[in-house]
Amino acid sequence: MQRFNHYQEEYYPSPLMHVWIEFRRSHIALVGFVVLSVFIFIALFGDLIAPFDPNLQNTNAILLPPSWEANGTIVHVFGTDSLGRDVFSRILHACQVTFGVSILIVIIAAGIGVGLGVLAGLLSGLRSSVINHLFDSIMSVPTLLIAIIIVAILGTGLFNAMLAITLALIPQFVHQTRTFVKTELQKDYVILDKLDGASPMRIFFNSILPGMAELIVVQATLAISIAIIDISALGFLNLGATTGMTELGQMLSQSLDVAYVSPWLVALPGLFIFLMVFSVNVVGEGLRSALRNRLKL
Amino acid sequence: MPANTEMQRLTQAKLGFYYQSAFVLFVVFTVMVFTITGCAPASIDKLNNAFSYCSESNPASFNPQLDTSSTTADASAHLIYDRLLEFNPDDGRIVPGLASSWKISSDGLVYTFQLRRGVSFHSTDYFTPSRNFNADDVIFSIERWRDPQHPFHDINGGTYPYFESIGLGDRIEHIKRINGYRIEIALFEPNSAFLANLATDFAVVLSAEYADQLREESSPSQLDRKPIGTGPYKFVSFRQNQYIRYKIHNDYFLPNEGPDQIIYDITQRSSARMAKLITGECDAVAFPSQSDLSVVEERSELALLEKPGLNVGFLAFNTQKPPLDNPLVRQAIGLAIDKTSILDAVYLGQAIRAKSLVPSTSWAYESHAKELGYNPVRAREILDEIGFPSDFELDIWAIPVRRAYNPDAQKMAQLIQRYLREVGIRSNIISQDWNLFRQNLSLGAHDAVLIGWNADNGDPDNFYRPLLTCDAIPFGTNRAMWCNKEYDKLIELALLSSDLDERRAIYHQANQIIFNEYPIMPIAHAFQYQAFRHDIVGMKINPFGSIRFDDVRRIVAKDIERVEN
Amino acid sequence: MLKTSFRYLNLLFFTLLILLTFSFFLPYLFPGDLVTNMSGITPASEQQRDALERALKLDQSIAQQFKLYVENIYLGDWGVSTTTNTSIFSEVTEVLPATLELVFYALIIAIFIGIPIGIIAGLKHHNILDFTTVSFSIAAYSFPVFWLAMIFITVFCLQLGWLPTSGRIDLLYDIPTVSGFIMIDIALSDVDYKSQAYQNAISHMVLPTLSVAIITMALFIRFVRRSMMDVMSKEYIVAAKSRGFSSAQIVFKHGIKNALIPILPILALQVSTLITNVMIVETVFAWPGIGKWLIESIYQRDYPAIRIGMLIVSVLVLVMTISTEFLTRLLDPARENVEHATV
Repeated sequence: MQRFNHYQEEYYPSPLMHVWIEFRRSHIALVGFVVLSVFIFIALFGDLIAPFDPNLQNTNAILLPPSWEANGTIVHVFGTDSLGRDVFSRILHACQVTFGVSILIVIIAAGIGVGLGVLAGLLSGLRSSVINHLFDSIMSVPTLLIAIIIVAILGTGLFNAMLAITLALIPQFVHQTRTFVKTELQKDYVILDKLDGASPMRIFFNSILPGMAELIVVQATLAISIAIIDISALGFLNLGATTGMTELGQMLSQSLDVAYVSPWLVALPGLFIFLMVFSVNVVGEGLRSALRNRLKL
Repeated sequence: MPANTEMQRLTQAKLGFYYQSAFVLFVVFTVMVFTITGCAPASIDKLNNAFSYCSESNPASFNPQLDTSSTTADASAHLIYDRLLEFNPDDGRIVPGLASSWKISSDGLVYTFQLRRGVSFHSTDYFTPSRNFNADDVIFSIERWRDPQHPFHDINGGTYPYFESIGLGDRIEHIKRINGYRIEIALFEPNSAFLANLATDFAVVLSAEYADQLREESSPSQLDRKPIGTGPYKFVSFRQNQYIRYKIHNDYFLPNEGPDQIIYDITQRSSARMAKLITGECDAVAFPSQSDLSVVEERSELALLEKPGLNVGFLAFNTQKPPLDNPLVRQAIGLAIDKTSILDAVYLGQAIRAKSLVPSTSWAYESHAKELGYNPVRAREILDEIGFPSDFELDIWAIPVRRAYNPDAQKMAQLIQRYLREVGIRSNIISQDWNLFRQNLSLGAHDAVLIGWNADNGDPDNFYRPLLTCDAIPFGTNRAMWCNKEYDKLIELALLSSDLDERRAIYHQANQIIFNEYPIMPIAHAFQYQAFRHDIVGMKINPFGSIRFDDVRRIVAKDIERVEN
Repeated sequence: MLKTSFRYLNLLFFTLLILLTFSFFLPYLFPGDLVTNMSGITPASEQQRDALERALKLDQSIAQQFKLYVENIYLGDWGVSTTTNTSIFSEVTEVLPATLELVFYALIIAIFIGIPIGIIAGLKHHNILDFTTVSFSIAAYSFPVFWLAMIFITVFCLQLGWLPTSGRIDLLYDIPTVSGFIMIDIALSDVDYKSQAYQNAISHMVLPTLSVAIITMALFIRFVRRSMMDVMSKEYIVAAKSRGFSSAQIVFKHGIKNALIPILPILALQVSTLITNVMIVETVFAWPGIGKWLIESIYQRDYPAIRIGMLIVSVLVLVMTISTEFLTRLLDPARENVEHATV
């Protein structure tokens, strides 16, 4: 029931609400959002909805085709692999690993990167320039190269791959945050704060940080898509997850041996990596244009 | 807003132009690509009658004396070199090679070889022979591995795993040059497998003259890297992970009508090898994957050969590492693993269950050999009885390459891992680059390893001795690092006799010891396959060791057909 | 101008120094024997070990060792590979041109197709064509490059049989390596099947180049489109419109140039993605470049090769990045105060 209103009032949505309103105007972005939600759901509850244990072998039912093929069964929706493991359950589990790990990596990288970026932004002169240069040069080193070095020193493993990707992602956050802090510092409202005698810490927490959240979210979506691609690429090259783990890239690489008999074993993990990255990118793009449109109004 | 709509109209006109130009660019590019590629389909004209073979890995060197890996042998033994004697690949009989005839003294101790005349060594850009093959080359080749004082003994590692694992050096009393084309080899005691050993891949004949030249140039290690032999093909170049090139040896002592060029295209993934076979980039491939065999059979442009292999795939336990030094632990592991499922899932039924070392094609085969069945309950009981440490993690090493005896060790290891987990043994799977893997295995870094053995000759001694005798431990063929004096004595005894029944009985006794001690778990004797393009004739499977391209030819019928089209 | 060049040289110098220092310490971090990790030679005897240690100045201070290392890098004495026992320098000079070749062709395609499409999409944004372009570009850069490459192989090699799956040229063509660039080497060789060899080399090049190019192109399209949209809504464009310039004049004179300059530094950041993709594509197509070489070195734990390979690839990326930035500065001196490359 609408209350009677005395005044002619314009409705101003909150900034977050505003972004959402802008965001849902794009259908593609919404679809991406739904797909992404599915992946988040899988990442959280994948093991609960999986019909089988992803590592349960059944040598009596190897290389069963998926259910849409003529001789597929409904029990194994995506068929089975060369050890008779249920591919659907394995894919769910692998998505969980790939996606979960990517998000974890990005959270850690964002935490460290933003911290350093703020530091570099607030500092000025030589110290800032040193941090800057160090990160500029690390930023130019490809992830794969960092991963190779880390694997050479520490050996193969999912954790080492994660370490490499985290290291590779940090500089981007540093860079973005630093630029943001630098530009904000020169804005009038911050200068006003300064003239009021606020300490740098206070300026940062009260004036700059609130505006930064969106920047970090946008940067993080970009970073997640990079992380997914990188972690699966390392898995594919056998430099990431080892045989015992199930990870999409590594799954794909192991299925290559039966690619001619069971092409879906190669197609499915690749498709899921693609869908995952695609949905993250679509949502990221949607967010970005939503933010941009909000600022325009 | 009229100005604006005018703008838009103009912009659109302009944009039409952009789109056109982008489109034209795209079309030009596509057309360029397809005209260029369209007239050069993947099966290009095979220049100068060449043959390309997709091999599975890098050879460690080009001298099989130094290595028992079949990759090394495949890349050198029958292409670059000849031996004194050869096996007939069809029936395994020993036939003349560089030795045109031989005589054995009545006491079975002295062997006299008459050497072939007019056999020339390869002439390449790094070596030009001044003389033909003669007795000096044979003596050089044998003394190199036999005599630790020989100037070339320590070059490139100084280990000769095959000869040392069978202790052949210690069995030879002397080698004597009678004249330029006749040599004599005397043994300490009779040895029924001696001739067979001289016909294996490893007993290649090198050039003594080339060795002298290298010594003068003080680059002796080139002997095994830039090889010179008398074989049908000479070495041209080798790029790690890329290719090996060979050229025909026109002065070969036998009629040599093979292709002018042989190229080994080194392709580690079996799926990639299959892709190259399908596109025609390779004429034949090494070790097609079991699951791809049906693909080969279905496609009309591909052909497949099949032969029961003289091989055995097994799981070897490192018997020097606790808790695996306890035979009960090894047996418990053996009981825990269901071999039938391995045969189904890994070999896809294309193998025969192995009960002991030799396959049924060998005369020493024991059809009623004792074998551990699948009994995980009993396995757990044994482990409980002996107080197996629950925190122990078994490192299962799985060979990273495909072999006839084990087409997919990774998969097999995952199956074994599952069975072990069911009896409460935790395990890890370890896999590394093949050459690195073998180095680490020789150091005994493994707990257990999935590996196998391909026969080098038809004699059962070729299985029993290198795989499990004490002498073979340092040379990396006894992967179980198992040493049992009683077993060694039996194997020794078997060689002294030339009576097959007597020898068979001895080998059956050895089987019993292997069963009791369980240093290895025999898994399968697999079929050997060779997949190739249908325009290739003369492909053969050599059950005795490495690949041979003696009679390989490309039939030109297809080329004619294409010209007509 | 001089000042700017000096600044960039300075930047290049210090970053190289960081990389050199890092790669210098790598053998200390790698597992195994220090002497082998540094030289690639496994000493057979104690005497040989002593000799090697002396040659590497391991008995002297770290500073001395570093000096020697830098000298050796400069002189091309990069040690030997532990797997092939050949000089790493000669191996790198053989594989690096193959990679440069792939990068070059991929960039050409990405630039000449990606940028025009991006400009058009940016001009006509929010209509169906733009929508298609954007969807394509998001989809394209969501592709894991190894999967894209495998789809190409499946379709063009296995199903259609049009193109070969691996390598740079059919191995039957024995083209001697002179420059390392296959196109130049064919021209320099004295074989009698040159035109066939060219066809063959190009047919090998198509798929690897496309795999890398499509993803890079998608990024270009996205950046150019965005930048073009921003520029076209700028006041000077509106001013130009009101002055009655034709749209072609506006787009060519003001639009494109102003749209392309700001994306140069963004593209500089993409160089490392490009190189990562190239390395993966090299592995899938067995393209004998430095990426495949390096990845195989890690499988074989060839530490001296990994050390040098890492140095070379990062220097390659660095040089590409810094020169892009330098180019930006030359084209647009007004950006003097932007955070990039301030010393």
